[in-house]
Amino acid sequence: MTRYAMVIDQRRCIGCQSCTVACRTWNELPQDIIYNPVVSEGVQGVFPQVHVSYTPLLCMHCDNPPCTICCPCIASQQDEDGIVWVDETKCMGCKVCANSCPYGARDVNHKEGFVRKCTFCKDRVRKGDQPYCVATCHQKARIFGDLDDPASEVNQLINSLKTERLFPELNTDPHVFYISDLGGRK
Amino acid sequence: MSHVNNNKLTKHFWFWPIAWYLFLGGLGGGTLTVAGIFDLAFRGGVELEGALTGPLPQLGSVFALAVLIAVAALGIGSFLLIFELGQPKVFLRVFLSRTAIIKYGACLLILAMGFGFVYFLFFLPPEWGLFYYSWIWLRDICCVCMMLFGLSVVVYTGVLLSSMKSKPFWNTPALPLLFTVSALSTATALMAVTAGLWPATSFNLAHGGALTAFIVENLHTIDTVLVISEVVVLGIYVLMMYGAGNVTARAVARKWLSGSFAGLFWFGMIFLGLLVPFGCYLAGGICAELVAPVFVLAAGLLLRFMIIYSDARRPIPGEERYWERIPKGNEKFLTAWKWD
Repeated sequence: MTRYAMVIDQRRCIGCQSCTVACRTWNELPQDIIYNPVVSEGVQGVFPQVHVSYTPLLCMHCDNPPCTICCPCIASQQDEDGIVWVDETKCMGCKVCANSCPYGARDVNHKEGFVRKCTFCKDRVRKGDQPYCVATCHQKARIFGDLDDPASEVNQLINSLKTERLFPELNTDPHVFYISDLGGRK
Repeated sequence: MSHVNNNKLTKHFWFWPIAWYLFLGGLGGGTLTVAGIFDLAFRGGVELEGALTGPLPQLGSVFALAVLIAVAALGIGSFLLIFELGQPKVFLRVFLSRTAIIKYGACLLILAMGFGFVYFLFFLPPEWGLFYYSWIWLRDICCVCMMLFGLSVVVYTGVLLSSMKSKPFWNTPALPLLFTVSALSTATALMAVTAGLWPATSFNLAHGGALTAFIVENLHTIDTVLVISEVVVLGIYVLMMYGAGNVTARAVARKWLSGSFAGLFWFGMIFLGLLVPFGCYLAGGICAELVAPVFVLAAGLLLRFMIIYSDARRPIPGEERYWERIPKGNEKFLTAWKWD
């Protein structure tokens, strides 16, 4: 069964924010909503051994998403392929899901009144395309695919390299995997 | 271009209506619980001036006004919850999920309101002829049900917040305990202020004045214990977060103890909201009858506000730096090029 996941190779990310801009463009986001920020702690280390690491963020499309369980109106849902999304026609804007997401992946535009979030560009993915942030990344730092397909690049990367996930102790089982900029080897 | 808050770490999703909703839910649910307990505990008769009064089937009329206010508080709280929704017109969708805590909260609110209201109807003046006053069995069922559902509402308000793993300051079983103690305290204060104000004379309630004084005295004693319990639970809660919480919980606790909330916490909550009522209850007289309950009620509301605005999320490394730097829409360079 298809189970979508994303691998983010921090060794390749240069923090250009192309994915942020691409996401905003494709999803026509209002000014105060960003699905896809690229954050950094700045320059780390002592000269000459210094480095900068960038962490692109997005919805983690968790296997155990706290945001869908708490949604009273079944607007926040997870498809069989693992994509977590919000049905805007059903959302009543109680914002419980936005409060419950540990990754801050959900946001509310108060003019619209409903919750919005990254959908892994499911409109593109269902047509066989890549999410727009993946298609835009010229460094190939974002790799998207089917986690359950042994031939997929994400499956092979996760099984061959050391990857990390954000806040694993919360047992949300996120499906965005990071290859650390100073790591990678198992 | 208007100023917008892009910072996802400082952005609140819930505002004052939810704080009021939590306060009114706790107040209403707590009042129904305490009223039910008092009715069941003392309807068999009490000892007044050294003599037993005998059965008091209309004892509930002493705090019927509090029950009416409780039902109204739950109704207003529900309205505020709907008011806070982004799409209020589709609020009935709240009942669709099987797993959402908020759905069970809505059901409990309705049940508590319903049973509380029917219980209250039994204390309308009989000459109005609006109700079947002889159906005592129905009143007893309503009494027990409003007590159980009222207590469930009280606990639910805390469970709703404490279930959120993303909010380290909320995500602890101590929060429902704190909300429960605070709600029962505010409920007891409300009942003490309103005891005997409902026209109980319609029922020829024997020992009316002495009985009300007996009930009020018991309520003051209970609220004194609850106020002290709240000081202890609140102190443990904040110190636990400060000492044993993660970085985010500790930062929020520091905000309460010595940061921007310190004045509200120490002077508003601890001193005016808890220690002053405690002293007033011990002093007795008008202080205990009016000042203490009003301060207890205000402290209950203040606590909900402080909790709701302590919704900090644990930042992902680098996130704070990112959101602090993001343009807010009011930067000078955005308009500096304009001729006018």
